[in-house]
Amino acid sequence: MTWLQRLLQRDRAERQLDAELRDHLERLVAEYRRAGFSESDARRKARLEFGGLEQVKEECRDVRGTRWLDEIAQDLRYGFRLLRQSPAFTFVAVASLALGIGANSAIFALVDDVLLKSLPVRDPQRLILLDDGAWTNPIWEQIRARQSEISGGATAWNEVRFDLSRAGATEFVEGLWTSGSFFDVLGVPAVLGRTFTAADDDRGGGPDGPVAVISYAFWQRRFGGEASVIGRTLTLDRTPFTIVGVTPPSFLGPSQGRSFDVAVPLGTQAIVRGPGHWLDARSTWVLSIMARLKPGQTAEQATLTLRAMQPQIREATLPDGWPQPMLAQYLSEGLTFVSAAAGPSGFRTRYEQPLWIIMAVVAIVLLIACANIANLMLARAASRRHELTLRLALGASRFRIARQLLVESLLLASLGAAFGLLFAQWGSRIIVRQLSTPRSTVVLDLTLDWRVVGFTALVAVLTALLFGVAPALRMRRVDPNDALKEQGRTFAGEGRYSIGTSLLAVQVALTLVLVVGAGLFVRTFEKLATLDIGIDKGAVLVVDVDISRTTASPEARHDLFERVRAAAAAVPGVTGAGFSLITPVSGAGWNGPVELPDRPEVPTRERMTFLNSATPGWFATYGTRLRAGRDFDARDVDGAPQVAIANETFIRRYVKGDPLGQTLRFERGPEGVQPVQIVGIVQDAAYRAVRDPIPPVLYLPLLQAHTDGPGRLSLSVRAASGSPALLTRSLAAAIGQVDPDLSLTFRPLAAFVDGALVRERLLAMLSGFFGGLALLLAGIGLYGMTSYSVSRRRAEIGIRMALGAHSSRVVALMFRRIAWPLGLGLVAGAALSYWASQYVTTLLYNLDARDPATFIGAALFLSVVSAIAAWLPARRAARIDPARVLREA
Amino acid sequence: MTTPKSDLPQGTLDLLILKVVALGPLHGYAIAQRLQQISRDVVQVPQGSLYPALHRLENRNLLVAEWRLSDTGRDAKFYRLTRKGRAYMQDETDSWHRLTTAIGLILDAAEGEAS
Repeated sequence: MTWLQRLLQRDRAERQLDAELRDHLERLVAEYRRAGFSESDARRKARLEFGGLEQVKEECRDVRGTRWLDEIAQDLRYGFRLLRQSPAFTFVAVASLALGIGANSAIFALVDDVLLKSLPVRDPQRLILLDDGAWTNPIWEQIRARQSEISGGATAWNEVRFDLSRAGATEFVEGLWTSGSFFDVLGVPAVLGRTFTAADDDRGGGPDGPVAVISYAFWQRRFGGEASVIGRTLTLDRTPFTIVGVTPPSFLGPSQGRSFDVAVPLGTQAIVRGPGHWLDARSTWVLSIMARLKPGQTAEQATLTLRAMQPQIREATLPDGWPQPMLAQYLSEGLTFVSAAAGPSGFRTRYEQPLWIIMAVVAIVLLIACANIANLMLARAASRRHELTLRLALGASRFRIARQLLVESLLLASLGAAFGLLFAQWGSRIIVRQLSTPRSTVVLDLTLDWRVVGFTALVAVLTALLFGVAPALRMRRVDPNDALKEQGRTFAGEGRYSIGTSLLAVQVALTLVLVVGAGLFVRTFEKLATLDIGIDKGAVLVVDVDISRTTASPEARHDLFERVRAAAAAVPGVTGAGFSLITPVSGAGWNGPVELPDRPEVPTRERMTFLNSATPGWFATYGTRLRAGRDFDARDVDGAPQVAIANETFIRRYVKGDPLGQTLRFERGPEGVQPVQIVGIVQDAAYRAVRDPIPPVLYLPLLQAHTDGPGRLSLSVRAASGSPALLTRSLAAAIGQVDPDLSLTFRPLAAFVDGALVRERLLAMLSGFFGGLALLLAGIGLYGMTSYSVSRRRAEIGIRMALGAHSSRVVALMFRRIAWPLGLGLVAGAALSYWASQYVTTLLYNLDARDPATFIGAALFLSVVSAIAAWLPARRAARIDPARVLREA
Repeated sequence: MTTPKSDLPQGTLDLLILKVVALGPLHGYAIAQRLQQISRDVVQVPQGSLYPALHRLENRNLLVAEWRLSDTGRDAKFYRLTRKGRAYMQDETDSWHRLTTAIGLILDAAEGEAS
């Protein structure tokens, strides 16, 4: 029998043990009776000869090996009873543990999913990624042609948003352009139907025409999980696709932080985008390229094979119209494969550091909570001293008592962990929601899996050990004799350097670190949020206008855009409307080198300027002020002299003398070097991101920059007052009147700006929240410590007061007790923060990580909180009635 | 009267029990009686302390037990030697003999030298 079986059959074993021993006794009794003893004498003699019945039973139970379990059950019952008896203690302990453990589990779930987990595909360790960044489709086609020599199969994909609607306002789904080999190389099978074949990827669609594979979540959401979905039609960007398969629920797509709804073969882009597709574009860098290693092959070997083919690949894909030095660089830059078990993810790179920082923060919060509970437990152990010593005196082993205390700790930790898991589920979802921006919805697989539960259990056990060991260790030093004599009456029992005091100092130090961190991140966010970025983010609504599906010919496109602009500007409540190629702070960008005739030695890299093209009135729409010269106007059309407006940084960096009227030359892609005349200067305004320094930007008139008429442009509309989002409906109606085939996407500019600050806001929010939590916990700790010492020193205080001590002296006496740990903690905390500041420098904006004001402010704040926490119980001490205390004594 | 009683050397109770049970299935009381008879009352074991030893041997699969109707009309727990128990008993008996022979030799030799 295993001990588990023995445990389960405990009652039966007990009955049998009893029967066996009684049988023996009865036989002994019977024998003595036969020898002529009276019944009672026989019984007495039999018992003597047999020995103590209960003692024998206990020894037999020991042999059975389940006694420790019985005892732990006993400890648990006792522990529960104790927790019920002191609900305040239990509440504080369980709540702070639940917050501490829950915070750790929530952040761990994120860290695990974003940073630790591999892709849910076959053998993720065998996947390699072409480093670094994005590639053009011609490059991919070159690699595809050589894939069997390079590796065991390769694939490429690009993440996009498809419009599901057939007309009017857009309805976006997360999409993927993938190569035909995508699902085979990743090793993701279809749960329903089939995945793609190489033939599906033919330009214009394979034998089944344009086909699509949908994700499990999309299948459930949109089609209710019906099996009949195979063969149904899905309209993507106004093109009908046939659904051929559904992927497994675990597969969310190739990169962390994003999910996909629909995947379609790259080749179908020729139909969807028409002539605007980038399948042959040699400067459109959008594809991620991944490969699977052959058996026994390493990433280095694959790189070597690839490098041997690099000259042919590069030669065949030379971008058009690039200046010579850039082409030389293009040819020589080595292609490299890196391990890709976790998939490529900009999300991961962006959030790796913040996530580790927050993980450290929550670990510290938990440490503070542990210190708190250890202190509470110590105080309780001291007040339970009498009970425990009595048990020692009655013969309980020290080990047994220490175990009792540990079991109680474990019980608390388990309760905390159970509530913590609930809190974590809720918390991590909130965080993920905070991460989503208008451009990308963040989706992470946060189901409660064994990794998170295991982590939580581990943390719970560790915390129990952390705060349970101190009281248990202390128990070992108790001598029952002394303790019994002492009988609880003590005067200022503990020394200045007790465990409690050091725990308090540690707590203060750790709290200071978190408060300093919270201060730094909150100030960074505040600086960024109130930054003057040269645009009125609150007043502008951005409308993406896509005309590629309309019948308008390239020549007629500008005319169509102009009619859309006029219609939008005429809507009541609109004070301005203008088109641009690039929406500010959307993350998109366009750049090119400027020629500096007087400084030919400056390398291309240092002559780059960002570019945008806009219609007249666009600057006014954004509230970007014209510093000198003029805005674009009706003169600036195709055929007229080429003009440009530069921002202040551009002028400062590249122009000497009076800029207005100067002509400069810069690269404009296929058209080569073009002269443009500067006709205006605008204030510096944010271009790609909020927190980057504003780069040099050159604005070109839309009609001169894109003579062929682009397929989609961004229309910015300024609202006279109120939220610009309220204009959505009337704008959609007005633009729909111009052409119902346009597809429109509405987003307030503020959403882009907020989206650009997601990381900073999240850091500020979380560090602020946990900093506050740490303060609260430290406050509770100080409060508990002081009130405990007040209650222990009641008699002493009473006598002091009877002898004439003033109540302010008594308060001072109590304060002196926390002055030491507070002072020590502050010094240690400042040193610790100083050391830790090196890890956050890159996340701050315009702020030194060792900013003295933040350090001093945090220390002051913490001191004030501590003083309040200590003052409340100290005041109680000052109100002690000496007469009563002395009578009690 | 009775001969002086000795305590049992450490660890030998197990071996004695196995030896007694080797003759056939017995219940605890019978084992105690047999131990007393065989050792001619020299070896004194408090009868209760037999049981932890019996249960330990059962746990180690050296003995198996079954409940059977006994002479008193009540069910009693009968212990029987397992194959493993027999092998173990053999080993232990051999090593016991070696040990006692060795100790006997030393004791005799020491006496011989002294005289």
